[in-house]
Parts: sequence; C-alpha cells; structure tokens
Amino acid sequence: MIVAAAPLSEQLGNALVIGVITGAVYSLLAVGIVLVYKASGVFNFAQGEFGTVAVYLAYVASDGNYWGLPFGIALVIGLAGAVALGLLTERLVIRPLFDAPRVTLLVATAGVALFAIGVQFWRFNDPAIRSFPAIFKESARITVLGIRISDQRILILLVLAALAVVLVAFFRSPLGLAVLAASQEPVASELVGVSVRKISSLTWALAALFGGLAGILQAAPNGGIGSFQPGFLTFGGNGALIPGFTAAVLGGMGSLPGAVGGGLIIGVVEALGGLSLFEEVPGARSVMVFGILLLVLLVRPQGLFVRRAAH
Amino acid sequence: MAIEEAAVPETTTKRAFVPTPRGWVARGAVWAAIAWFVLCYPGNFLSPFEVRSLEADAATQAIVFAVIALSLNVLIGYAGQISLGHQAFVGFGSFSSAYVVTDLEQEFWMGLVVAALVGAIQAVVLGAVALRLSGLYFALITLSYGVMAEESIFNIESFTGGDAGKDAPRPIGFESNYRYYYLCLGILAVVLWIDWRMMRTKGGRALLALRENPRVAASLGINVKAFTLLAFAVGGAFAGIGGSLLAHRDLTVVRVNFEFRLALVFVLMTVVGGLRSRSGVVLGAAFFALLGNGKLLDLLHLGWFFEDKLSLPIDFVPLVVGPLLLLLTLTMYPGGIGQQIAPVREWLLGKRFDRHAGKVKEVQITDVRA
Repeated sequence: MIVAAAPLSEQLGNALVIGVITGAVYSLLAVGIVLVYKASGVFNFAQGEFGTVAVYLAYVASDGNYWGLPFGIALVIGLAGAVALGLLTERLVIRPLFDAPRVTLLVATAGVALFAIGVQFWRFNDPAIRSFPAIFKESARITVLGIRISDQRILILLVLAALAVVLVAFFRSPLGLAVLAASQEPVASELVGVSVRKISSLTWALAALFGGLAGILQAAPNGGIGSFQPGFLTFGGNGALIPGFTAAVLGGMGSLPGAVGGGLIIGVVEALGGLSLFEEVPGARSVMVFGILLLVLLVRPQGLFVRRAAH
Repeated sequence: MAIEEAAVPETTTKRAFVPTPRGWVARGAVWAAIAWFVLCYPGNFLSPFEVRSLEADAATQAIVFAVIALSLNVLIGYAGQISLGHQAFVGFGSFSSAYVVTDLEQEFWMGLVVAALVGAIQAVVLGAVALRLSGLYFALITLSYGVMAEESIFNIESFTGGDAGKDAPRPIGFESNYRYYYLCLGILAVVLWIDWRMMRTKGGRALLALRENPRVAASLGINVKAFTLLAFAVGGAFAGIGGSLLAHRDLTVVRVNFEFRLALVFVLMTVVGGLRSRSGVVLGAAFFALLGNGKLLDLLHLGWFFEDKLSLPIDFVPLVVGPLLLLLTLTMYPGGIGQQIAPVREWLLGKRFDRHAGKVKEVQITDVRA
C-alpha cells in the first residue's frame, strides 16, 4: 500500500494508478447494476453475490481437495454458475414479483444475496478465509508513474476495456436495441415482436456474468492479497457492492458508459482517502465516497455523464 | 373508507355483524392468552414455566427490534422511502445514549430523549438532500451514509470508545433482565401508540395520500416535502429510541455490532412483517430477532432437525433459512405476515372470521416513486 513517508506527489500518482485499478472492479459491478436497473427497474443487491458464487464455484472446481480440474475450466464453471444464479433469480424471484412494488423487489434481491451468503457460510466456514489461485505467476512487467503493475491488474483493465467494446457493439446490434426498447416501452416492444421475458432473462444473465468476472478478478491475488470469505464482495473492507452502487449513481443510474466512468472515479477518490494527509481521519475512504455522493446529488443530480436535465 | 360508509343510507336492513356471547368468550380467551404470553410468561408471573434470565434478554431483543421495525415502517410504509443505512441511525442512537449516560452522567431517560433527537436530525438532513430527487436516492444516500458512519464516525474514540466500546448502564430499578424487558415493552407500547395516533392526524392522512400519488396530493394543497420530512423525523426518532434501548440492553455498545448486514436484517423483518401493518411488523421483527439469537429453534425444539438431518449448525440457521422464508413470503404473500394474520386480527377485533381478509389492494400501490 502507500508508505506514509513518501512525498505527496508520489502518493498522488500511486493513488491514481491503484484507484483506477480498484475502480475497474467497481465499474464491472456498476455495469451489471445498471443493466438490471434498466431491465427490471430494481436495485440489485445480489450483484455482489453473483461474483462470490463464481469465486466459490471456481475454487471448488480447481482446488485439489475438491474436484481438482484445470484452472481454465474451473473459471468457466464459476462464470457459468454465476449466470445460472442470475437466470434463477430472474425466473424464481423477479418474474413472480413483476407487478410488486419496487421496494419489495429490492428486498427480494437482498434476500437472494443473504441466502447465497448463508450457504457460503454453511459450506465454507472452516476455514472462513481461503485463498484463490493466482491467474498469473506474480509478475510485474509494466511500470506506470513509478509503480510496477502486476499482470493480474493489467488483466482487470483489459477485461473492463474489452467489456466496454463488447457492450458498445452489443447495443448497436438488433438484440441490443431490443433490450433498450424493452426497458423503455415494454408493452410497445411486445407489440413489435420483442419477447420482454427473454430480454429480461438475457439482461440478468449478462449482469450475472459481469458480476462473476468482477468477483473472480477481486478474489484473485492482486499484488499480495488473494483471499476471499463468504460474502466478501457485499460486506467488509474488500466490499465492492456499495462503491459499485455509488458508481452507478455517479453515472446517472441509466448510463453504461457513465457506470464505467463512475467506477473509475470512485476508485480514485477512495484511493485519495488513503493519502497520509488524511491519516488522522478515521475511515477517510468511506468519508470520501459519501462526500462525493452527496456532492453529486446536490450539484449534479442527473449524473456526471448524462446530458439531459434532471427530472 | 369514510366516504363509502357515508354513501350507505342508515336505514338499510343489513345489520352490522355482532359476535354471539360465546364468540366474545372465545375472543376474550385468545386475548387473555396473548396478554399472558407477552406480559406474564417472560417475567415468570402466573406461569408454570421457568423462563431464564438469558431468555428474557432474548425477548427484550425482540421488543427492541420491533421498535426499530416500526421506525422503518414509517419510512418505507408511510413515506415510501427505503433506508438502507438503518444500522447507522440505530447505532448513532446507541452511542449518543451511552455517551450521555456514561460521559455526561445524565439519567437514562435523558439518553433516550437525546438518542431520539439525534435519530430525527440525521434522518431529516439526509432526507432533505434525497428529496431533491425522486425515487430510490434516499436508499442510496442512506446506504453510503451507513458505511461512512460505520467506518468513520463510530471510530471516533472519544465518542464511541473505539474497539472496546462504551458502557451503557441500565436505569436504576430496571437492572435485571426481567425488569428491563418490561421497560422496553412499555416503550414499545408508547411507540405503537404514537404511530397509531400519527396516522389518524392530518399529517398521517397526508402521508398516505402522497405516497399513493404525490402529484395528486400536491394539487390538493398537501406540502409533499414537509410531510415527507415529518415522516423522516418520526422514523429517525423511533430508530434512535431503538438504538438507545439496544445499547442499554447490551450494557456495552461496540462498533462491530452495527454492520451493514444489520441494515439488511432490519429491512427484511419490516417487509416480511408487512408494510403498514403494525401487528405484522411487530411479529416480523420478533420472528427475525428470535431466529437470529437462536431462541425460536429452542422454543420449537427444532435444533436437532437442522443439526442431525441437514448438518447445518444452529448458528447458521437464520442466515440460510431466514432469506429463504423471506423469498417465499414475498413471492406468495406480498403483504407479509400482516396479510397472513389479517383474518385472525379481524376476528379478534370482533368481526366475522374471514379467510380472505387482508387481501385488499393494500399492497398493490407503487411504494417507491421510482
């Protein structure tokens, strides 16, 4: 982490680089949150748990004590598990509650998250903290602003960039346009032959896939820390769900590029909270995140990257 | 409702249902059983059972959770705004009360009042920011605030005592677990009474109207912002009171007790209880509190089933079973426990037993203006 004695300029550079990388994981989660919000109008609290389910499945598949499969196959199994959970949530929880108040839906997704966490605690409590296999042998080939960046971290950025490209292409394709149409005018979309149900399943599957990616990237050894525990994405110091939500709001809650940008900003702001300048302030990181959320809501409530006026 | 009643002429031949004498006796017996269970059973009066001190403490937790759930009910059920940082409202109340009693050496009652005030102020300030926007933003701002409070405010040593926590002695005369239970029960009764009276005033009616449709309410001359802020103030005050009671129940307030997880449990118990149903909310809170501290399984002797049949340790039962019950409740009975007990409640109040009571459109309104 940051050495307290380092000069401020060096600390700033460090915070910027680290922040962008942490922020990339937040962006991944925020993109999933925004996708679901557009499709179902619900704040999906299970988004983080899509990630942990992928992590636990990949761990079980690859670990020698369990199935002992090759790592690549284990990762695919993990992501497939996340997608399956996303589809199940949509089918068993969201669809029966289609006409229910939004608050009920929100609580239902929180219920899915708590259930997933409960099962993780039940099955993997001893030991609670486990370590995930490294995606790469720890090596750092690239140096930015005097900081060596591990390959794992480069991978996080690459995944995010690839995702952005894929999403842009997807929303230009007929299927992507159908997703947009179904989210804006479900009835009219049905009339022109778009199956709103299929679109809803598709969106949840996509969101769960991004959640799974975020989880695996967060759990894999990332310059030292490579441990995970039940519900680690939702709760605790490593939690990415709340920064993810804040990122989505920063981006205006409906904008995918906004969610990506918001995640990066939250990452950097959080890293700035770790400067030695704020050593005296307890919990400076979360104060910074809360502060920026308040500021955005007071000054620019429609989101940072949205041009239309606030409603 | 009032309009419908007025529309029916008084000369109609259809008489209102009046229970037979035998019906009154049956209702009275059930009321007496409930009163015995709440008033006598935990304190070992007129009771063949022996309730231990720790079990009375668990019952106190159920009562305190009921106060907290009622506070969330005001926010979610009446104002239509979700709070996801309720652990911070409650925790702030806990620490303020402990601070007033331990550091300022004031009476417990002073701590209670300060906790209620602090709770109200927090909710109003956050609410004022969130009301600039529509929809789910109160949820987000409270979410972020909760995490901030947990990591920052609750870490200020002089206020919260750091990791060691802060002492919160019980008031004189209520030191034992049994007596403290009755104190909390009394305060729950007061909170219930305030809640009930509030919904009968102009403010309460205005809240109901503006939750259903803020635009129509505004056009009728209701000051939407002022009344929503009123609801925030009342909800925040209840949360502070709950926090204060929780602090003095535990005798020490520790920071780690106020994690985000707690906020989710609070929301779960309120919604499962059934929004806008006071009896449902209280039952939901008691259910989750007793499930959480393991007393419910003891009471029903179900522990062996989970340990032996499912190899699920009792500690994890609430974590696994609670959310599952929640999902089942939500998808099958969106009105929560309040809807399920509605027939019994109506019967107890002197109406006919109607299996379909409570299935009115109560829960079809869009609760949150997203």
